[in-house]
Amino acid sequence: MDFYLGLAQVIGVHTLLGLSAWCVLHTGQVSLAQGGFFAIGAYASGMLTSMVGWPLWLALPAASVISALVAIAVGFPALRVKGLMLVVATTAFAEIVRLVFFNLTWRVPGPDGNLVGPDGSLGFGGIRYFPSNGWTSGEIVTLIWGLVAVVMLVLAWLDRSRVGTLWRAVGEDEVAAQSVGINLTAAKVSAFGIGGAIAGVAGAVFAHYTTHIEHSNFTILLATFAIAYPILGGLSSLLGTVLAVVFIQGILIEGLRFLGDWRSLLFGALILLMMLIRPSGMITSPLGRLLRGGREPDGVAPRSASGKEKAHA
Amino acid sequence: MLELQQLSRHFGGVKALDQLDLTVNKGEILGLIGPNGSGKSTTVNLIAGLYQPSSGSLRFKGQDIGALPVHERAALGMARTFQNIRLFGNLSVWQNVWAARVVRESGWAGVQARWLASGRQARDEVRQLLAFSNLADKADTLAGNLSFGEQRRLELARAAASGAELLLLDEPAAGMNAEEIEELDQRIRALRDRGHTILLIEHHMELVMEVCDRVAVLNFGRKIAEGTPAQVQDNAAVRAAYLGSDETVAEPAATATATA
Amino acid sequence: MTYLDLLDLVQSVIDGVLFGTIYALIGIGFTLIFGVMHKINLSYAAASVGAAYLSLLIVQTAPPALVFVAAALVGGVLGALVYVICFRFLPLNKPLATLMSTVGMLLLIEEAIVHATAGMPQNYPAMFVGSNIDIGPLSLRGDLLFVFALGCAAMVGLTLLLKRTRLGLATRAVSQQATAARLCGMNITTTNLSTFVIAGLLGGTAGAMAGAAIGVLSPLLTLPLTVKGLVVTVIGGLGSIPGAIVAGLLVGGFENLFQFWRGVSERDIYVMLLLFAFLVFRPGGLFAPPAGRD
Repeated sequence: MDFYLGLAQVIGVHTLLGLSAWCVLHTGQVSLAQGGFFAIGAYASGMLTSMVGWPLWLALPAASVISALVAIAVGFPALRVKGLMLVVATTAFAEIVRLVFFNLTWRVPGPDGNLVGPDGSLGFGGIRYFPSNGWTSGEIVTLIWGLVAVVMLVLAWLDRSRVGTLWRAVGEDEVAAQSVGINLTAAKVSAFGIGGAIAGVAGAVFAHYTTHIEHSNFTILLATFAIAYPILGGLSSLLGTVLAVVFIQGILIEGLRFLGDWRSLLFGALILLMMLIRPSGMITSPLGRLLRGGREPDGVAPRSASGKEKAHA
Repeated sequence: MLELQQLSRHFGGVKALDQLDLTVNKGEILGLIGPNGSGKSTTVNLIAGLYQPSSGSLRFKGQDIGALPVHERAALGMARTFQNIRLFGNLSVWQNVWAARVVRESGWAGVQARWLASGRQARDEVRQLLAFSNLADKADTLAGNLSFGEQRRLELARAAASGAELLLLDEPAAGMNAEEIEELDQRIRALRDRGHTILLIEHHMELVMEVCDRVAVLNFGRKIAEGTPAQVQDNAAVRAAYLGSDETVAEPAATATATA
Repeated sequence: MTYLDLLDLVQSVIDGVLFGTIYALIGIGFTLIFGVMHKINLSYAAASVGAAYLSLLIVQTAPPALVFVAAALVGGVLGALVYVICFRFLPLNKPLATLMSTVGMLLLIEEAIVHATAGMPQNYPAMFVGSNIDIGPLSLRGDLLFVFALGCAAMVGLTLLLKRTRLGLATRAVSQQATAARLCGMNITTTNLSTFVIAGLLGGTAGAMAGAAIGVLSPLLTLPLTVKGLVVTVIGGLGSIPGAIVAGLLVGGFENLFQFWRGVSERDIYVMLLLFAFLVFRPGGLFAPPAGRD
């Protein structure tokens, strides 16, 4: 049972990561920075609970806000470039974050007298908020999936609202969007910031259930996973992202355990295959549109043509 | 409403636009014509802000807009259509027009447009525009799936939705048959009656001569003539510029009776 | 800083610049593919390292110098494979799909390497180790000089290919105006395939050079090479080969400068910051290539 609870935790956190990438991908930006915000959320929340003694319900939002602020700060300059340059810029940022934490050593005496805090290349252990406060695995899973539900609701609401339409417009055609009056920078940076906030939450939860984090948890590879989920799941659908995470983490990585060493080999091959077979992602059909909750703001009922016959092309 | 003074744009050694003086008055339909390469699209892109001028000035509603980015010029009250249709292909017809309408709401108040009275008004306006454009029954269709004529109508509707006073139409008749052009003619007039000012860049002479109040002619980046359609048609320089072109210049008298 | 320290610094930078030819080649590869297909092949550095690994297969039976040729050739083959698997059949208007497919390929290659070698680093033949050229108090390391020479030879070969052959002309044409090129009778598929092969030849060489310069090959090489290669491509200017060359040497030199100044573990932070500086002040890169009219 514990195994499945552990799996549920991993899937939950990766879903949040995928959702954070979904936000940014929606405005047409390919960002490999989500791993960086994940790391910031992890370290920040870990430091707040273990070193400063904050309760989780304060540390979580705080970590999220910190990640969001960094995202906005980085977003302004980074989002001025597009395409490959943005990929590289976000990659560089994520690497900077990882290396900063690799070099960060800051330890203070903890509640039981021992030193706690990030210890350079040894990582940051002793994030013992959950065990110290008697959280069971089941409760942790509930928290994680509760957060997933909240984030999905917020994103679905945003997607239906003006913000979502404007984000998608920017993602569709930047020139047309500008010409209609949409402030490209505001749209892109806001998506980036919200994505950063979500990744920060994911990182915070991750840090606490693993109790030990280190720089190797936050490589570029993680960032590629983060964008893989929405791309494989189909960008038009929030649910697709969740399904993609379940599929990749649950079925692929855990389910192929019996293949032993070979499963990581197959993983890359499977991503390849998926893209060859369904380049638009798993959910792109009308079913997807229904599920994504992207109904028109009014659910416009078709009105009968007001008289005039349409000319035919 | 719009004043271009000595506006120039160079691309390397090529003078795409050479010291253009042009004024668009409120409520008029001004046509901008000229052979291929004469600088028409360059002019539109300069006005909209996609290009920066090499020299000269641009004033819109009395304000110098040379330093303003594209979206701020749009917010000031201008909208455009594109020669190669640029719709939000994966958004529905409704969402295309809605995006243009709703971006006018400033700040986070706009997010709540669904539930506030101003939101209801916005939705009414969009619905009205779709009906006006004969697209009401296609509101849920993805823009990319529309027929060519419908896409053109949608672009026009989207431009009108932003509440812009000045509409820049970049070859809206390209690819249309005679019936569709006739409809476009009506639509442009209706837009003017709704209060828009229109700058029409076009190749189709019949349309331009019929619907425009005034016409300006470009050739090799310079303005060679300006006046009423009749004046421009009689202009020898204009004839010379078009010598050899396939466009035929319509007889004003005949078409006037046809559309009466 | 004492005179001796200064000497050490200069020595370090020189070594770095020589090593930088590796980054330059990888950068050229990325920029070639991007210039022609306007897509990123994230698996490129991994394929390059993979080619170097495969070239080790002939080490037992052939003189070490041939290993480099083998690596280049294998790189070319891998390049063709990557093109066929990841790019040939994917719809052009789905750039995210090709991006993901190259990520899949990257993972596949890395895992294949780990699998085949059980994760153990493999020794790679180095040439001219120990024979240095001394210029006053500074010395040019023999093995690094060899790597540098190899890199220069590859670049010269590439330039000749691009400027003097029909294939090269086709590649340049396609990169500027694909539709027009097609209308002139050029076969896009063949051109794209050959671009990948050429890039693969360069990449295989680069992988071998990395092995020779460091002395061992390890799967841990792929990610840093990928990141540094991308950085070089952007600093040099997307699509610009001379840019990639200069940027490669630049990054190599700066890398060692930063390492000298702040140590190995912080070095890359500053390399990334260097990239950011370029993005802010010169987003077009060192040499922005001639822009095609749309």
